[in-house]
Amino acid sequence: MIELIEKIEGEAKLDFSFKDGKIDFVDIEFMTARNIEKILQGKTALDALVINPRVCGICGHAHLIATVQAIENCYENLEISKKAEIMRELTLNFELIQNHFKWFYLTMRPLLGKKQEILKATYPSQLMAKAIAVFGGQYPHTSYAIVGGVVSDLTEMDLIKVNHYIDETIKFFETNVVKADVEEFSACDKVDNILNTSGDLPDILREIKNKEYLQHGKSYDRFIAFGENSYFTKGKSLKTIVTQNISIDYVKEQENLNSLAKNVTYKYKYYEAGPLARAMINKIPLVKDAHRRYGDNIFSRIIARVCEIEQLLNHSKKLIQELDLSEPSYIEPAINIENLTAKGQSAVEAARGSLIHKIELEKGIIVNYEIITPTQWNLCNGTRENPGVSQKAMIGLQEVKTAELVFKTFDVCSVCTTH
Amino acid sequence: MISKKEKKKELIMQSALELFSLKGFYNTTIPDIAGSLKMSVGNMYNYFKSKDILAKEIIKYISIYLGSKLREINELDISTEEKTRKIIEIYFQTAMHKPEMIDYFLRIYLSTREVFKDGCEGMICVNEFVTEVMIYFEEGVKCGDLRDQDFFSAFGLFMGYLGGMVFLKGEDVLPKGLDDYIDDISYNVYKALSV
Amino acid sequence: MKNKVRVLWLSSIACNGNTHSFLNYPYLEQFLNDFEFIHHPVIDSEYTLKDIVSTNIACDILIIEGSISDEIKRADVKVVDTIKRYSKIVKKIVTLGTCATFGGIFRESGYKDTTGLHFVKEEKIDKFKNLVDKTISLSGCPVHPEVLVNTLYAIKKSVDLQLDDFLRPKDYFAYTVHNGCTRNEYFEYKVDKHQFGELEGCMFYDHGCQAPFTHGSCNKILWNEVNSKTRAGLPCMGCTEPSFPKNNLYGTKKNMGIPQELPLGVGKRTYLTLAGITKAFKIDRLEKKLFDD
Repeated sequence: MIELIEKIEGEAKLDFSFKDGKIDFVDIEFMTARNIEKILQGKTALDALVINPRVCGICGHAHLIATVQAIENCYENLEISKKAEIMRELTLNFELIQNHFKWFYLTMRPLLGKKQEILKATYPSQLMAKAIAVFGGQYPHTSYAIVGGVVSDLTEMDLIKVNHYIDETIKFFETNVVKADVEEFSACDKVDNILNTSGDLPDILREIKNKEYLQHGKSYDRFIAFGENSYFTKGKSLKTIVTQNISIDYVKEQENLNSLAKNVTYKYKYYEAGPLARAMINKIPLVKDAHRRYGDNIFSRIIARVCEIEQLLNHSKKLIQELDLSEPSYIEPAINIENLTAKGQSAVEAARGSLIHKIELEKGIIVNYEIITPTQWNLCNGTRENPGVSQKAMIGLQEVKTAELVFKTFDVCSVCTTH
Repeated sequence: MISKKEKKKELIMQSALELFSLKGFYNTTIPDIAGSLKMSVGNMYNYFKSKDILAKEIIKYISIYLGSKLREINELDISTEEKTRKIIEIYFQTAMHKPEMIDYFLRIYLSTREVFKDGCEGMICVNEFVTEVMIYFEEGVKCGDLRDQDFFSAFGLFMGYLGGMVFLKGEDVLPKGLDDYIDDISYNVYKALSV
Repeated sequence: MKNKVRVLWLSSIACNGNTHSFLNYPYLEQFLNDFEFIHHPVIDSEYTLKDIVSTNIACDILIIEGSISDEIKRADVKVVDTIKRYSKIVKKIVTLGTCATFGGIFRESGYKDTTGLHFVKEEKIDKFKNLVDKTISLSGCPVHPEVLVNTLYAIKKSVDLQLDDFLRPKDYFAYTVHNGCTRNEYFEYKVDKHQFGELEGCMFYDHGCQAPFTHGSCNKILWNEVNSKTRAGLPCMGCTEPSFPKNNLYGTKKNMGIPQELPLGVGKRTYLTLAGITKAFKIDRLEKKLFDD
């Protein structure tokens, strides 16, 4: 039974097989690839900073940051100011936050029977877009991060402005998402306490309990994150045991016979990426509590993603305080990129999980480019014997409707998957 | 139509050019120039308030003259190589028929900067001429004939070479007329500037 | 209940950048009181894409996002067939973004004959010739939300919009992106040193800024109501133009130091004459940092 899943930044086809009234396999097919990696070949390295944000309208900024870091990785000892690093991290945080609001209000709540409240998605995400625009000129599709730093400079007034956007977003969170002080929320380490408050998050979490969906969406309980910054650490989590020593060298992409999306594995195993993975690796107490009680299910995935909004808002406020405006925003690289023949790679945490870029330059010209997107981790199309993360999460369910819910808890992005 | 006053101004500048060339810039006074035109000094000041102003007007006059000649060449539908030759021809012809003009440019404008520093900053007073040289270069590069490089490295090569030849001619060092060098110089310049 | 204008938002080969840019429109509530989407890539709608492609659903405006190729299907139906189906029904067609208008970045995706609806780069194509009279092009990567929303309102009010040669409303595309840039003085007075990461300087001379010859209102209406790329210090990439994306976007193509592309409509002689004059003067205020240490 083939179902067209829509409104996932494109579409995907899920082909369900049933056995004894239960889903026993799902084939995932993505239909439209745009061959960005081929488009990049032959272009000058810096042009990738303009092309790559156009991989995706909702997480394009992560592609920009991954691109600039991959190119910078081609240099030996390239110097970047702390200020530029913080600015990049902030704008990436803001993108994650806008994404999570949109996913929560436009996708998740309607799937759990609530009315789609567009303005609740757009109000905070517009604030975050404004904050990015203060640094980068516009959102979406800025290319303000450049090899050596960022193109813009900041004044105290800019920071005041950005702080207002953050505070207003925090206020929105406190009055809508979870009706509680963010300090309290961030200190909370018991899911039960959240379930007893009001707000749009507790509302749908209770809904999941009421509908008896708590067993839904369990997968391998195997998580991975490669991106590192002042908030996220890299590592993997296997049944709650976290190790930090992982290497991109073990990440493998495989062609997929049935779909234009490539599968991706770490040491030939499928891993889940995204907010739940990050929370497990970073040991976020509230998410750990959810996971302890309910496992790697839809409940944990939802709470992890929404928690990340609050974490990143608070962390961003701290980061702004660390900015030293007297530092340069940009330090011109000592080597002209036209003389650079080298390989580079990068990993950043995008809204949906680890995003990996690899670049190969010959005298500043791109000869090879590879992008591995977060959704490729989560939406691998495996076999019956070895299903991908989201496939495994759907197997055993009885209805296509709930399978769609489970599928979308991974925050599916079709355009990214089939870049 | 050029007004009567403009015509008269041109006449004064032409006489001044000739006197400068003959006697030198500092040795020529406004009364000298007025005298050569049988004008009263008072009347002379109706046209130019001071010698410095006259000096600046003259360099603009030369720039406009040469600029218009170069513009005619730039607007021809010919190859960069042919343009190069034509520009050199026009420069040498001017040096031969109006030696005072090139002389003024080389000996007075370029070496008496204190007169020109106010009002002739940068290349303002030779703008018309320099603009046409820029267009000649830019179009030459764009159509693939000339090698792309910094403007001044090309401009220096071009003007330095031509100026040097005219200077040598002025010093009576050249055994042959400027005309006789056009072939070789055009060849050299184009070879140096082309891809 | 009042009659809302019915809009079909159809994606082809796209990144959804216009979808998310649209969500940045500050007065969405008001907009959604006046318009409804019979289908939209993220906003809930009465019909699924499957419904849309298989039957004729009443609709007033067709929005196309993304480059167009015969090979591309959405919900198992060729996008070109869905365009043909709805172009007969709707009052107006809006090509939203540079991909849908000129082919854009995804023209290079490698699908057969990938184009915009009526253009492939500057060149006019005949594939949908009969729809030209119905079409308004909004180019940009992405399109500013106000440009889209106000154009939709203009269609609703049956305003007779003046369009340029690429069918773009002059209200937004008669301007250059350069208009309103806070770095304009550095351009006007030819202060040509610019380094990234600074409040000062103009990116036209060395860093590829295309604002003086790019049609758009980025610096007139500002992005996200707060800023623009060029104000921030990022060169304009010419994303509203048929030529987008050009190559070597962070470098200015120069011939012997003279920029190959000059401000729109300004002749080379005029530009060089003016440049020569302004360059002769040193303007202290523009040579210095805006904020003295």
